[in-house]
Amino acid sequence: MQRLRSLALNPDGFAFDPTTGESFTLNATGLAVVEALREGLTAEQLTARLVERFEVSPLDASRDLDDFLDHLRSFRLL
Amino acid sequence: MKKQLTIGVSGINAVDNPGPGIGVARSLREAEDLDVRIIGLSYDAMEPGIYMDWVVDDAFLLPYPSAGHDAYRERLSYVREKTGMDFIIPTLDTEMPFYMKYHRELAAQGIGTFVPTPEQYRLRGKDRLGELAKALDLQLPRTEVVSSLADLERAVDDIGTPVMVKGAFYKAYKAYTGKEAVSHYNRLVAEWGYPIIVQEMVKGDELNVVAVGDGEGSSLGRVAVKKMWITELGKIWTGVTIQHPAMLRATDRFMEQYRWRGPMELECMVDGDTVYLVEINPRFPAWTYLSTGVGVNLPARMVRLALGLPDPQGASHHYDAGKLFVRYTYELVTDMDRFQQMITTGERGDTP
Repeated sequence: MQRLRSLALNPDGFAFDPTTGESFTLNATGLAVVEALREGLTAEQLTARLVERFEVSPLDASRDLDDFLDHLRSFRLL
Repeated sequence: MKKQLTIGVSGINAVDNPGPGIGVARSLREAEDLDVRIIGLSYDAMEPGIYMDWVVDDAFLLPYPSAGHDAYRERLSYVREKTGMDFIIPTLDTEMPFYMKYHRELAAQGIGTFVPTPEQYRLRGKDRLGELAKALDLQLPRTEVVSSLADLERAVDDIGTPVMVKGAFYKAYKAYTGKEAVSHYNRLVAEWGYPIIVQEMVKGDELNVVAVGDGEGSSLGRVAVKKMWITELGKIWTGVTIQHPAMLRATDRFMEQYRWRGPMELECMVDGDTVYLVEINPRFPAWTYLSTGVGVNLPARMVRLALGLPDPQGASHHYDAGKLFVRYTYELVTDMDRFQQMITTGERGDTP
């Protein structure tokens, strides 16, 4: 989570890790998730936000969120 | 009025395997409080820096230091006499033994330098990486120092392919088989002599730090970079500044423990939280200008310290992460006269 918090994010979804120099491109959903995680939202709150913002079912939102969190872990961002 | 400083800089071979000299010279020129005249110290009439007169004012051909120290000293005396050269920044590994040995004699002639002691230089040698990694709290890929073909074959067997085969001074090659390792070994021995270093190939990102030690246990500043794009020779072409705590801490520790005097480059491979020490170079790297570009002008800071000049920037170590370094190619067209002058007289410039 420390690395996620230190990412430099721009509104277009470009993320730069100032510690390792790695950079990532996030789509609108990924950007919303990263911003929410940095705000400290819980998984339930985050799913609710995705449902509201992207007009998807809670099941789809939850599944996509899990998938995305796995990605973040694989990059050691979580 | 500022006194003009005449500073000799070597490594002005701005080619595909670039020397550090042009970046160092540009840094000195960009220090607003310094009025510098740059003397390019070159080894070949075709080194591009000789012709880059917006960076290098005068240029002189030198004999190779390996051809004999007397001839080298005589040539530097001549350059001093001709130009009033106050200071030299050697930037090539092969020059370091000469400057460490003769820095007092050069100082007596009025030529300042700021180089490590022979003991410091030995302690960071490629054959001492194990001790160094331990002292800096870094990991070391499995490494063996070899001086015979039998030792090489045993080392490759012990470590397992693929391995890196490295020369004592320069060059490193990947070997995927024992045969390849032998071929690289022979090539490196013929070019650079013994010993040869055989090292486990570790995966990860190449992260480096440039710094200058004050010789008292501190640095005059340090800047870390991640190599984003490299040439076939492994040279950085695009990079980005980073703030990597473990590497910056290792640099500080190196300064404290070794009381390093002069420029250095810490090279590491980083895989997640594991930081492997690759080597420490006893000179400015070819990407030194990046530090200047982010406000930490290390060549200028070193010259000020060595010559007892005030530092207008203070000792700030701050720089921003996320600044991009982009190298590019460029061409110039000039008269053949310059080349002829270098070939026939060994010098080029305006100094009468």
